[in-house]
Amino acid sequence: MSDLSDIQNEAAAAIMAAKSTEELRAIELEFLGKNGKISAQMKGIGALPAEERPRFGAAVNEARSKVLALWESKQAEIESAERTKQFEAERIDVTMPGRPPRYGREHVLQLTTNKIKQVLGSMGFVYMESPELEQFKYNFDALNYPPDHPAMDEQDTFYVTDDLILRTQGTALQGRVFETTKPPLRIFTVARTFRNEAVDRTHSHTFHQVDCFMIDRGISMAHLKGTLGVFARAMFGDEVKVRFRPDFFPFVEPGVDYAISTPKLFGGKWVELGGAGLIHPNILERHGIDPREWSGFAFGLGVERIPMMASGVDDLRHFLENDQRFLAQFA
Amino acid sequence: MKVPYQSLLEFVQTRLSPQEAADALTMAGFELEELLEIDGEPVLDINIMANRGDGASVLGLARELYAKDLDARRTDLFERATQGFPSKDEGSRDVWAHAGVEIQTDACTRFACRIFESIENSESPEWLKKRLRQMGQRPISLLVDLTNYVMLETGQPLHAYDLDKLRGSRIIVRDARVGEKLVTLDEVERELQPGQMVIADETRAIGIAGVMGGAATEADAKTTRCLLEAAHFKNTSVRKTRKELGLFTEASYRFERHVDPAGTVAALNRFAELYASITGDHAVGGVIDVVREEPPQVELTLDLKRAQRLLGMRVSDEEAARYLERLGFEILGQSPGSLDVRVPTWRSDVHREEDLIEDIGRIHGYEKIPEELPIGSTPIGGAHGFEALVDDIREAVLRCGFDQVISHTLGDTDPLDATEAKTRVRTPHSPEMAFLRDSLLPGLADAARRNGANNLHLFEIGRTHGDAERVKLAMLTVGRFDEPSWRPEDETTADFFTLKGAIERVFASTGFPCEFKRYTQDSRMHPTRQAKVLVAGQELGLLGQIHPAVAKRSDLPEGTVIAEFDLGVLRSIPASAPHLSSLSRNPAARRDIAIIAPKDVLFSEIEAAIRKAGGEELERFWLFDVYEGKGVPERHHSLAIALQFRRMGANLTDEETNALRDSVIAALEQLGAKLR
Repeated sequence: MSDLSDIQNEAAAAIMAAKSTEELRAIELEFLGKNGKISAQMKGIGALPAEERPRFGAAVNEARSKVLALWESKQAEIESAERTKQFEAERIDVTMPGRPPRYGREHVLQLTTNKIKQVLGSMGFVYMESPELEQFKYNFDALNYPPDHPAMDEQDTFYVTDDLILRTQGTALQGRVFETTKPPLRIFTVARTFRNEAVDRTHSHTFHQVDCFMIDRGISMAHLKGTLGVFARAMFGDEVKVRFRPDFFPFVEPGVDYAISTPKLFGGKWVELGGAGLIHPNILERHGIDPREWSGFAFGLGVERIPMMASGVDDLRHFLENDQRFLAQFA
Repeated sequence: MKVPYQSLLEFVQTRLSPQEAADALTMAGFELEELLEIDGEPVLDINIMANRGDGASVLGLARELYAKDLDARRTDLFERATQGFPSKDEGSRDVWAHAGVEIQTDACTRFACRIFESIENSESPEWLKKRLRQMGQRPISLLVDLTNYVMLETGQPLHAYDLDKLRGSRIIVRDARVGEKLVTLDEVERELQPGQMVIADETRAIGIAGVMGGAATEADAKTTRCLLEAAHFKNTSVRKTRKELGLFTEASYRFERHVDPAGTVAALNRFAELYASITGDHAVGGVIDVVREEPPQVELTLDLKRAQRLLGMRVSDEEAARYLERLGFEILGQSPGSLDVRVPTWRSDVHREEDLIEDIGRIHGYEKIPEELPIGSTPIGGAHGFEALVDDIREAVLRCGFDQVISHTLGDTDPLDATEAKTRVRTPHSPEMAFLRDSLLPGLADAARRNGANNLHLFEIGRTHGDAERVKLAMLTVGRFDEPSWRPEDETTADFFTLKGAIERVFASTGFPCEFKRYTQDSRMHPTRQAKVLVAGQELGLLGQIHPAVAKRSDLPEGTVIAEFDLGVLRSIPASAPHLSSLSRNPAARRDIAIIAPKDVLFSEIEAAIRKAGGEELERFWLFDVYEGKGVPERHHSLAIALQFRRMGANLTDEETNALRDSVIAALEQLGAKLR
């Protein structure tokens, strides 16, 4: 028995003196392993009388578990100290710059377009496109412009031939849709449009328009106002109000200019956004749609107007110049 | 149109302040541009809608103000204007002894004139000069000032001829003759042509109808006898003439937008009464009034229920009738839910019921329209088909780390143009914007230069105009691909294969795996570093390093790599949909091989051979090193390729894996490659 307690004491002393996991590993082998000193004690069990054997066995097991407990607690202590050392050595300066991934950046007009598509799309309007280089008849005749009317003066036009022009308005899509699609319908487009005018901070020969229209039974000016309200609030904030003011566009009757107002953005002033109205009955009739059965609305607005109003862009020319210092401020 | 507040008050008694009157007009559709103060009095600068020529007069705006301000009353002047400024001498025939009028063209529907004698064409009284200044006119002489004043007041353009300068006593309204010349009031000699309408005496043109009078017959300080013209010309004829001559005047502005065809004699009478009140003299008795075409009488029936339905707000029958009456419509009949009205002659914009509905709505007030949402059939909104595919492709390019640019359609010619015959617009503002782009690459190059021409990875999706309008995707990559970091070992420089990898990923991820074929013919690209990109055997576009000469002319680095695709090609190709291959639970086995291959054996041939020899069990393979130099013969390179095998339902033994590898090697040897 004295052997066992000697071994136990010896092991305890070694464990207490250990300074590293390596030393502990060696101690484990020496005392606790399959061929360690404690296990070796068990070999003597056969020489004992049968009645003493259980007691002896229990004593060996108890010694083993005491040493093991001591060993484990020392091991935890050393591990913890070593980790602490390691962590100190591995310290990084977390305030150093992150490594930026290549992250494709969308153009601000695309971000605006995405938002428009999301809002109008969720209201059931189907997105369509039509040609930029458009036939005169779709840009003007199909939209109820009387031949050679002063209304066209407001839209100085780029001609390529007598019949082919760069479209002056996104509304040019309407006639194309009405030729192929019967009501009810809900359509919108985001279109690049052109006016032959000099470029300055607030004018460009190239800009973009949203044009949105629907035809169904019983569509009224109230539906137009409601749709514009939802749209404008989604684009500019929950507090936006919509105002109609009478205006003339050949393709709507009644025709309005609509303005929005929000205490946040424009100090409560009315800011005109675009033109709108009920689709002119002449246009419906021209495409075989009975204005007594069907009515519809249409509205349009400049895409550039949205970031100009929401983000304070004060020069239209920025949009198509692609200066990354400008674009990086939006995405 | 500048209208003094005081002038409005001459027609309408209102309690509205100048600002309130301006707000009322704005909400009737006649938008205030600016409230001015001229000569100490408020003046409203009003924007006139293109279809409301009648608004370009004090009387026209007064009618709108009267309709919108339901508390306003009409003055005596308003009443007399409505009756056409009746004059006691209208029935007299005296005037016919002095002149006659003949209309020879349908573009003139009416020509009226009065004659004044014993004139002293002196200065105008101060009140008249002040009004003209307030309305943006320069006072000249009494005759000229009064013609301008009456035009601004009633909307009817007038012209005063010196009767003694006319040859013969007949005024003829006719088409200009070939080569006919006329010096207009602005002292410019103008050559006229048939199709343009002139006022003539018996020998020559004395004015361009509806646009400007002639200098030779102008009323001046010495004029003692005057013929005063008030005519009605069709708007399209005047517009055509003034556009051809490039001559824009107050008269042409009004005629283009339509002048009240019934207002000619009224304007002459108004002139005569003002002239008499200033000078004490009267016109020669009577009015010469030749009518070629009577003003159209438009009568309409209005369904008031329909009006409410379209406006989306309640307007009572009584209110509707009242608004129309106040605007000058004559109520011919009224029954519940229905109105019969006659449209006043000055409202050329009203043709049908919906026009009346608009008038009722704008006078009732659009602010009363509630917000409602349309119900009924709602399709699945948003982009579908090709438009949705373009959105997906844009998203994929963005994910590959490319920055989007959006550039101009109009530009100059450029070394990166797709063709040498771009479409030109007829009247460009400047040569720099005369052509329609046939490629997006010049725009990308421009964006690259603007941002330093290096370390840029850009793309644009947009429309181009060549033989047809196309939706294209163009990409440009140059310089360091990774964002700058403080660990430079992370950074790779973009080259042909950087862009190729992105392109493969973009099209594969959207359902259109693409192939690359050697190409040499695009002169914008390096002849031995360009490839055609094909999807399902159809040409989608090109990818290549920029040609060094083009790089120089475009001010871009020679390492710039560009690509452009016609996305419309994808319209006719079905996108491949994912079809699941079962996942094997058995482990994969990898074998690496290094071969020395002649450089003229294309990697695509090597790929095809490996794929064929590897069979079903070749799960994937990839090139992981390319070496040439010491130990490798000339015109050869060493390729290190990893082969990964896996079998469905069973493990591959080493022997089986080696046998598969050996069959790949054998296939490559067939191509002239050797194991290294």
